[in-house]
Amino acid sequence: MRYLIIGGGIAGTTAAEVLRKSDASAEITIVDEEQHPLYSRVLLGHYLKGKVSRERVFLKPATWYQEHNIEWLPGVVAEQLDTRNKFVRISDQRELPYDKLLIASGTVPRPLEVDLRGVSYLRTIDDADHLLQLLSERGMDARMGIYGSGFIACEYLELFREMNLPITLAYRGDKFWSRALLPEAGELVNKVLVDGGVELHTRAELKDLIGEKELTGFVTPKGTHEVTLLGVGVGVIPDFSWLRDAGVELGSGVKTNQFLETNVPDVYAAGDVAEFEDVVLGRQLVLMNWQNAMSQGRHVARVMAGERVAFELVSSYSINIFGLECIFVGDTELAEADNVHLIGSLESGGITQVFERSERVVGGVMLNRNSDRVLITKAIKNKQPFSELTFVTE
Amino acid sequence: MPKIRVQVDPDLCIGAASCVTIAPETFQMNEENKAWVLDHGTEPGGSTYERWLEVTEDEMENIILGAQSCPTLAIFIFDEAGTQLFPDM
Repeated sequence: MRYLIIGGGIAGTTAAEVLRKSDASAEITIVDEEQHPLYSRVLLGHYLKGKVSRERVFLKPATWYQEHNIEWLPGVVAEQLDTRNKFVRISDQRELPYDKLLIASGTVPRPLEVDLRGVSYLRTIDDADHLLQLLSERGMDARMGIYGSGFIACEYLELFREMNLPITLAYRGDKFWSRALLPEAGELVNKVLVDGGVELHTRAELKDLIGEKELTGFVTPKGTHEVTLLGVGVGVIPDFSWLRDAGVELGSGVKTNQFLETNVPDVYAAGDVAEFEDVVLGRQLVLMNWQNAMSQGRHVARVMAGERVAFELVSSYSINIFGLECIFVGDTELAEADNVHLIGSLESGGITQVFERSERVVGGVMLNRNSDRVLITKAIKNKQPFSELTFVTE
Repeated sequence: MPKIRVQVDPDLCIGAASCVTIAPETFQMNEENKAWVLDHGTEPGGSTYERWLEVTEDEMENIILGAQSCPTLAIFIFDEAGTQLFPDM
């Protein structure tokens, strides 16, 4: 059996590990755009802050692949998938045949249309190293800009705050996580940012960067903002260029059923790139979090090895902004909910949103209401309606 | 039954709760969104980030799986002799 895995992140590498455990003689190949063995992208924030050493970020040593007889091809990407003849052409022009193919190629940050030295994106350990280099060059007189209103913006906020650097934050909409938060919850996040000393500009789409060779500022409808470094986090996009003519059904991700199988036989998808049929939430969606990616990697390996069971998980993600604990569980898309119930208030400093669809709870956002997490996670698993839940309020 | 010491570093824990999903008998999120360590679902001696557990081989394997799933490697597991079982040194 020849297993070919496109993507060496947590989904792809976990799949390889599980496949090896179930089949000692299979050929397993990982095509990895990165030059580094597996590491935790979630740990990059801790690494940037100096909480953990660079070597502690790695989850596998470079020798792990060989020790497990896994062919690891770092620094190459897939360029074309031929599902009829069952091979993938990669960027060094080799054609890799497969019996079963896993697409676990993740996403890349959506880039700005403009670029200058001093602009930072944060996805890989190379990005983190680049950011540290910029920070050391800019010194303590640096003025930080952040553009975006999602998880990556939070990582920059936490880092720059830890370094006691002045922060200008701008984003296009009027609130953080605009697809998930109700206005009052958005106000709570904004209040925490402003109280934390951030110069906040909402409805401020980035129009241009300023600087000759090095960044000195950026322009929005709110004016010109002088910064020496700009952290950008305006969403991510999958690279579908190699899949375009392959006949694999694509949506906002690579579409799969509940078994993580695509519409093409022997082609599977897992992790951030997969738009999978979620049997708990009752719709097809992309969930981008560590827990989901790792669990799908483990699960899809079992399915590829012949154990055809549905993937089932209520996954979550959480992040902290200046002491405001933000937890997301399940399906938190406002547009996909019939009802979104709000518990708590701006005044109390804690808000929970409960997302309901077809008279059952499908998701929750908790801002400084950590203890609601268990209740909501259980309600999603048990497919309970909101009316059955009892929340504690002051 | 093997005896292991399970320890959560609250400074590294970000509340992703992967450990709770995999090993709910051993980990539970607290008010601060950090993971307490439980002994088979209970908390003898009160809430803590560290405790000795007597577990079966299967339980131990599952607890290690929970630790492996932690995106910030905030969970440490030691055997009776004090050797770190996870993360690999």
